Amino acid sequence: MASPPTEHPGRMGGAIPRFSWKTALAVLVVLGLTGWSFAGTKFDLVELFTSTRPIEKFISGMFPPDLSAATLRTTAIGLLETFQMSFLGALIGAIAAFPLAALATAEAATVGSSRRERLLRTVPYRLSRFVLNIFRSIPDILWALVFVIAVGLGPFPGTLALAVHSAGILGKLYSETLEAVPVRPVEALRATGASPLQSFLFGRLPQAMSGFTSLTLYQWECNIRSATVLGLVGAGGIGQQIIISMNLFDYPKVATLVGATIIVVLLVDRFSAAVRKRLVY
Amino acid sequence: MISSPRSKEKPLGRIALEDVTVRFSKAPALEDVTIEVEPGERLAVIGASGAGKTTLFRVLTRSVALTSGRIAVGGRDLYTLSKKELKGVRRRVGTIYQAYNLVPQLPAGINVALGEVGGMGSLKTLRTFLAGPEGALAKRIEETLERVGLSGRARTRTADLSGGQQQRVAVARLLVQRPELILADEPFAAVDPVTTERVTDTLFELNDEGATLLVNLHDVNIARRFPRIIALREGRPVFDGSPELLTEEKLSRIYAGDPYGTAAEPDPETQYDVRRHVEGSARLVEGRDGISAH
Repeated sequence: MASPPTEHPGRMGGAIPRFSWKTALAVLVVLGLTGWSFAGTKFDLVELFTSTRPIEKFISGMFPPDLSAATLRTTAIGLLETFQMSFLGALIGAIAAFPLAALATAEAATVGSSRRERLLRTVPYRLSRFVLNIFRSIPDILWALVFVIAVGLGPFPGTLALAVHSAGILGKLYSETLEAVPVRPVEALRATGASPLQSFLFGRLPQAMSGFTSLTLYQWECNIRSATVLGLVGAGGIGQQIIISMNLFDYPKVATLVGATIIVVLLVDRFSAAVRKRLVY
Repeated sequence: MISSPRSKEKPLGRIALEDVTVRFSKAPALEDVTIEVEPGERLAVIGASGAGKTTLFRVLTRSVALTSGRIAVGGRDLYTLSKKELKGVRRRVGTIYQAYNLVPQLPAGINVALGEVGGMGSLKTLRTFLAGPEGALAKRIEETLERVGLSGRARTRTADLSGGQQQRVAVARLLVQRPELILADEPFAAVDPVTTERVTDTLFELNDEGATLLVNLHDVNIARRFPRIIALREGRPVFDGSPELLTEEKLSRIYAGDPYGTAAEPDPETQYDVRRHVEGSARLVEGRDGISAH
């Protein structure tokens, strides 16, 4: 790293970045931000391990977990609801994402198109990118708050929140997949007279399809995790049961709910990963 | 077996490049190229990698912007045609590439059907997209696949075929399209000798039936089977004539400064490739055999 900026004849240097004032400055900035953030967050590992606050009581209070029939039923209902929310959220999100992504995909070749044609193509492109950005950059828990205010408590606003946020993320990832597809077959189609729509349908889409499936499955995984949290703002799912039990200091029940959630999340992760691995590209 | 090019429409006619220059950022890919190609001609284009062969083909379908110059197809300026007219021209241009450029996820039969895609209306496009080709087109696909030795493979995923088989699918696509102008961009650079022969034969057959044939080649021996050869060097045509006129000396000048077939800077001191004298003319210098250049 500390090699001088001028080239040594006969020495190539390793794979790490060479010294330059830019890298030195970057290292300084990172160090400065680290110190500043430590101070600002009152980061203290000693406090974490010597604290006598109720965390001990909370954890010890969770054992043994409450395995009564009533609690198990609440857990099962909550988990099923979470599952349904995450699934519907991913599905609706994917359906909404697809047309937006298609519009948000830049066609590389603009040779021979007039300024007006290019402008006509830019407007829907920019517009759909803008919509996707809004969907994506607002976290799902904020969307959940908005929808809880709009349609009341329960799993419905939670599902809507997941759908909107999923549409934003999937739309962006879909369009990136569509743009990253090998472009030569698409150009070959254009060169033999295919229209933009035809080259999209037969050139880009088939090449991006398995990528879409993989991304959608992954989004479903993420939604399961998110759906467990959405309940904290009253948007249904197992999170709602967790926050209720927490407020009642019913820690054994919290233990059951959290434990079951972890198991389900892990199972869905495994399942989705296994399916994605088997996808043929 | 294959009917002659569409009789209803006016033929594409002669292709004329006039002082065509194409520059990418700064480097010229084509420099003042003036070439005329008569309908039905059989033409090979040779030259080192980076000499502008592929760009020459790309301007013929208006796939790159011209820096200056003019390209006339049948007397009409290709670069001022309306969108619809351009589509009409492109429909009649068939392409075949070194990298096949098929859509690997689609069944072979659909890739063959895509030869017709330029002529499909929106309804037929949608039907083909959802349900696959039907009727006469489906029958023609089966026939052409049989003709290239791939009968019964219409449903096979294209990616599951070997390289040589994929190139034959590309040829089948040409046969379905029945183009008037065929642009073959180094079609033999990545296929086996048997496929090379087969593809050459089919291209020549299409040429005999009236299609103009332009082929980019690395392999000078195959180029010698063409009645007319054009050689490009650094974007300029440096040879245009029959194969008998293409002497070893001219060849070495065409490939000079390019010992590995890469787009290296031309070195004025190596005007002549010394290894030619060592190896003799029986063996091809690297970069001319179509393999070491890739």
